[in-house]
Amino acid sequence: MAGASFSYGQSPALADIDFEVRAGEAVALIGPNGSGKSTLLKGILGLIQRVSGTVEVLGASAAPAGSIGYVPQADEIDQQFPVTLEQVVMMGRYRSLGWLRLPGKRDRQAVTHALDAVGLGHRAKTRFGELSGGQQQRGLLARAVAAGPRLLLLDEPFNGLDQQNRDALVGTVKRLKEEGVAVVVSTHDLQLAREVCEQVLLLNGTQVAFGPRESVLILENVQRTFREVGVEIDEHTVVVPGHTGH
Amino acid sequence: MGYFEKALLAAAVIGALSGLVGSLVVLRRRTFFAQALTHATFPGAVAATIVGVSIPLGAALASILIVGIMTLIGRVKRQGTQVASGILLTAGFALGVLLQALNPSLPVQVDSYLVGSILTVTTGDLALAVGVLGVAVAVIVLLGKEILFSTFDPSGFRAAGFREWPIELLTLTLITATVVTAMPAVGAILAIALIAAPAAAARLVTRTATQILVLAPVLGAAAGLVGVLLSRAIDVAAGPAIALTAAALFLLALGGRRLSLARLRLTA
Repeated sequence: MAGASFSYGQSPALADIDFEVRAGEAVALIGPNGSGKSTLLKGILGLIQRVSGTVEVLGASAAPAGSIGYVPQADEIDQQFPVTLEQVVMMGRYRSLGWLRLPGKRDRQAVTHALDAVGLGHRAKTRFGELSGGQQQRGLLARAVAAGPRLLLLDEPFNGLDQQNRDALVGTVKRLKEEGVAVVVSTHDLQLAREVCEQVLLLNGTQVAFGPRESVLILENVQRTFREVGVEIDEHTVVVPGHTGH
Repeated sequence: MGYFEKALLAAAVIGALSGLVGSLVVLRRRTFFAQALTHATFPGAVAATIVGVSIPLGAALASILIVGIMTLIGRVKRQGTQVASGILLTAGFALGVLLQALNPSLPVQVDSYLVGSILTVTTGDLALAVGVLGVAVAVIVLLGKEILFSTFDPSGFRAAGFREWPIELLTLTLITATVVTAMPAVGAILAIALIAAPAAAARLVTRTATQILVLAPVLGAAAGLVGVLLSRAIDVAAGPAIALTAAALFLLALGGRRLSLARLRLTA
């Protein structure tokens, strides 16, 4: 992505983004609420209007069908919808299946494999809305995994997760990276950035810094990113008081 | 085929169609939209009678017009589709009454537009219903997975590289065709009962959308058949008998669900 800016209709949302992610590596998008993290993910997906710059995904201006796995925030989804976890994961296969065709044996195997990968094989027949928030988030990751993506986009996957669900998610993302999947993850969780991501992109309506984690996550940069909410640095943890949600 | 057998067949086919498409209405939360559409067909049908063209044709043209206006009003800031549906529901109904009052010499009774007259359905009406049912079944078998995906998670659907508008257009077309088809049998006002109640009942007692899509048409057909038989047995109008049977099925499903939940709580 080079010099890319995005907008919703007339209002600009995010300006001058310059970064790349390589196969098997992960980039953390870090910034306060409304800093454009979700916007950037939607920009990569081509879901919002790009006003300038270029976006190349997997070497092409339009990504090949089914090559991007996207994990939205679970609260964006209709909780009452009558669908089982297994069916949700199968949705990851629809794009490569194409219109008019029904899932076959290979698709069912991919679904089983993806559910096992996130540790939810035993909940396959459970109604999606009956799962806990953390399990739903893992289910949506399984849906992305089932598509066999080469680029994985995660939008705040760790919001409100307990330790067990968090560990399961981290483990899955690490395994995918080992298999050569490139990962872009938006998060508030600097600990997660340390565990999973080699690169960090700091955002605040515009790009504050991008580069290797160690050189980007320094006090000065973080202060510039979170300027309005204040920052404390306490050993290795940066705490941003009063800062929750997206 | 005698008129009664034809009425039974029409009730079963229209009931199944309404149940099937009603499942999409309920899952996509478009019940109020469908309700507005049923009322909007009323002036179309009256106008068709005045001009002397087929009633389903008039109702279909009115529906297309209404969907267009509703889309425009829905775009007005801070109004949204609920407001658009509400305005057109009443405006459509008022227009129908007005057209009828202006033409007192119309050969058809006002009641038959509003509550239907299944005992007088023509072979043409029946053929239309069978045709629309065939198309609806084909669409749901072939495109069911895309329809369910886009309904469950629209942004995930777009992110996967699909476009949403063909699905929206397709479901709106199916809903419109169903409303138009059901009108001669159950009328503009009662059609919504046959569209919403079997699907809502099926939703209460099933776990997955696929099960709803199978059960709702069965319940719809049953409501149609039982309604027509009841209307003969106790000598009441068929349209209301069908609508009340559909409503009773919904109440039964609600009761059944309450009971099974209570039993679960007792055993837990």
